[in-house]
Amino acid sequence: MNEEALTENIENQLIETLNACKKCHLCNLFCPLVDTRVTQGSFGINRAIYYGFKWSEFSESLRDLVYSCTTCGKCEVMCTKVSMALPIRELVEKAREYLLIEKMKGPMPGQTAVLKNLYVRGNPWGNPSHERTKWATGLNIPFVSKDNKTDVLYFVGCTSSYDPLGQKIAKYLSKILKNANINFGILENECCDGHEARRMGENALGEYLAETNTNMFREAGISYIITGDPHSYYTFIKEYPTDSNGLKVQHYTQFLNDILDQGKLEFSTKVNKKVTYHDPCYLGRHSGVFEEPRRLIERIPGITFKEIENNKKLSDCCGMGGGRMWMEPPEKLTSSQKIAERRVQQALDTGAEILLTACPFCNITLSDAVKSLGKTDSIEVMDITALVSMAI
Amino acid sequence: MNCLQGRYGKMNIGLDQLVCDLENIVGKNYVYGDLFERINYADTLLPYDVEEEFLPDVVIQPGNAQEVAKILMYATEHNIPVTTYGSGTDLIFPTKPKHQGITMSTERMNFLNIDEEHQYLECGPGIKTGKVIREIGKLGYFLPIQTQAGSSMGGAVSINTIGHLADNIFGRPVHNVLGLEVVLPTGEVIETGSKCLRRSAGWDLGRVFIGSEGMLGVITKIRMILVPMPETVDAVGFFKTNEEVGHVMTLMYQKKLPLPMDGEFVGKKACKVGCENYGLNFPEGAMAVIKAMGRTKEEATRNAQEVVDLFKSEGATEAFVIKDQEVAENVWAVRENVMRWGKEKGKKGGRAIEVNPILPRMAEAITSLEHITEARTDLIAETEAYLYGHVGSGSLHCYLTYPHGWSDEKMKRFIDDIWNVEKELQLKYGGIGGDWGWFPYRLPLYRETYGDTSYEIIKKIKNLFDPNNILNRGNLEGEV
Repeated sequence: MNEEALTENIENQLIETLNACKKCHLCNLFCPLVDTRVTQGSFGINRAIYYGFKWSEFSESLRDLVYSCTTCGKCEVMCTKVSMALPIRELVEKAREYLLIEKMKGPMPGQTAVLKNLYVRGNPWGNPSHERTKWATGLNIPFVSKDNKTDVLYFVGCTSSYDPLGQKIAKYLSKILKNANINFGILENECCDGHEARRMGENALGEYLAETNTNMFREAGISYIITGDPHSYYTFIKEYPTDSNGLKVQHYTQFLNDILDQGKLEFSTKVNKKVTYHDPCYLGRHSGVFEEPRRLIERIPGITFKEIENNKKLSDCCGMGGGRMWMEPPEKLTSSQKIAERRVQQALDTGAEILLTACPFCNITLSDAVKSLGKTDSIEVMDITALVSMAI
Repeated sequence: MNCLQGRYGKMNIGLDQLVCDLENIVGKNYVYGDLFERINYADTLLPYDVEEEFLPDVVIQPGNAQEVAKILMYATEHNIPVTTYGSGTDLIFPTKPKHQGITMSTERMNFLNIDEEHQYLECGPGIKTGKVIREIGKLGYFLPIQTQAGSSMGGAVSINTIGHLADNIFGRPVHNVLGLEVVLPTGEVIETGSKCLRRSAGWDLGRVFIGSEGMLGVITKIRMILVPMPETVDAVGFFKTNEEVGHVMTLMYQKKLPLPMDGEFVGKKACKVGCENYGLNFPEGAMAVIKAMGRTKEEATRNAQEVVDLFKSEGATEAFVIKDQEVAENVWAVRENVMRWGKEKGKKGGRAIEVNPILPRMAEAITSLEHITEARTDLIAETEAYLYGHVGSGSLHCYLTYPHGWSDEKMKRFIDDIWNVEKELQLKYGGIGGDWGWFPYRLPLYRETYGDTSYEIIKKIKNLFDPNNILNRGNLEGEV
């Protein structure tokens, strides 16, 4: 198929699929973006794509709506349950790719530099590549290579490599793994997993980054990866090339449960805290990992666990998914802070002292929301690794 | 000056001036002129595309009654049509702006105060019923409006709908609303009713606004009774024929059984598709599922059992009180999947009609619907019919699924055919339409049922409240 035909094909596919929408609006009911306007939510976005493509109105306001989606996928739960089961998230991502590649309307202003940084430096901030492993200085964590193999590769991910809050997760997890005598290492030249590039509509860049990592995995003879970032986990298991499927990939919540079962990890200290847990979208709804984080939390002695209002498949988004980490939505669209504040409010309603999560993005966003709500005295946001490290 | 052309004559103001003036009333952040905003507030559940001539010129979101009053006064002064928008989930299209102008969304007026001391709630028209259900549910109360969770309270009250609930149990908003704050099209703000649980025995102006589909004023506050949350228990019965379900539900009333909160019916064909979709092993045939209620679980269970006994005595192949949560979820899922029944069988989508037969003719009406596509020359002959309905409250639906590839023009003809057949059936079986707001397309049914004198009275009432006909212009005239 030539390029022109392919372009037409994407347009027709989007129009045809969205033409099946029953316009029941039920997706909006679940959408974290909806504040007080129908346009803000999943329904508004899907109608904008439908009419934008059908009427060839590729304006900036279409771009803003298409890029405002968090890709949390909660709309699809409702659409599948009672309506036409439309692949809304996939349609949004296809529209983004089309706007970016064919119409040069995407990505959002703040995201252009991020994509460039991913290509040039392998991380969204454009930080020097050699600083990627700086967080591990003094921790005596080996670099995995063909000459220095370990049982497990800890794929750290960009946020836990560079962001101060994220780095805490990397340090806690390393501490836990060492405590359990796990033979693990990290990659000296780890590169972005490509997840965010794909979410912003730059699939080719996502593929390029995936290939870079896959080559490193192959060269170093890696067969077992654990990660602390649900986005990495999701992209490894769902989007990496099929020849990398021989790899075993686990999120740390799965791995830590396994080594607890095997008796390699033990808890020795009681942690008398009331906690609740926020399911990260890319770990829970998109990858189906709901029980392992809960099982891990409840195994910690002394913990009182209470579910937050919307949980598991119906978990609310923290607001930073789908590339929103790298953009500021226009004024009339819902801010990520507002979405995160709503989620924190739900956590406060449980009476928990700690809001746990298992994702560096959620950790950053929800921590900021606690501060903006002025609730730092009432609740603290933590990654599960922090809690586990208290108990060992 | 770039004047705005409405079907009822030119509005005497330019678009730029209109936007500027509206921004002065509600602030810049709550006036929207962007194409996609205008599309979203005009694209209704009709199964064809919205046309540019039906997009509003501007969308506005007032935050309170005073702002609504200023907008309406302004619109009256400049002869600008105003279409009120609650959530856009109306199954027909009162929110489609027939004459462009201003679409006024009530979404920002979404407050909720629950007053347990007085035993009422007060809410804004823009709050979603699902949110009210959730919030009052936390305190042990039940909302006697069970419409789609994304629908607005203002919309439900304006239409006087209760969703699937049986009228004979909780009544309708017209019975449960204690008072309203309403802004008239000429800008006056009035209060109706009181804070007392005892409603007026005589004149209560509030009743004029409830059910008049937003044509007489804009509701800006609703005061409604709190109803204690009943305990519920589900029960299900399977019957060899669809007709038997109609018969047994009629008997449920006539034998004075405790009426269920919800009595649903899924026809044989739809039930088969639903069960296949979920891999369920229910007996073949039509399904009747009820939500029995009581003050206690025991009472609800006893009431459910009474209905099950009736099902069995009237020939159900299987009937039981549902004790297992998973079975309950599967049973309701078969019912909830209505919009997918056609899709699962390779059809593109579907459109439902509503028939409300008088009680003694329920079974007969079901049989009529079962054969609805037969011996026809219109587009309904090309569809496949799936029966379902809220048979416990006297509402029957037939979901007519259409194939892929129909053009918008063909779809419009199909919609006309649907309305015609619905009118024929309603006239035959005595109903008028109880589930959704309907005046624009059911005007012919209204005139045939009640006569032109009655229609003229409604028009006079409209003229009294809205002399310039700015509110929801075109709906009373039957424009679609």
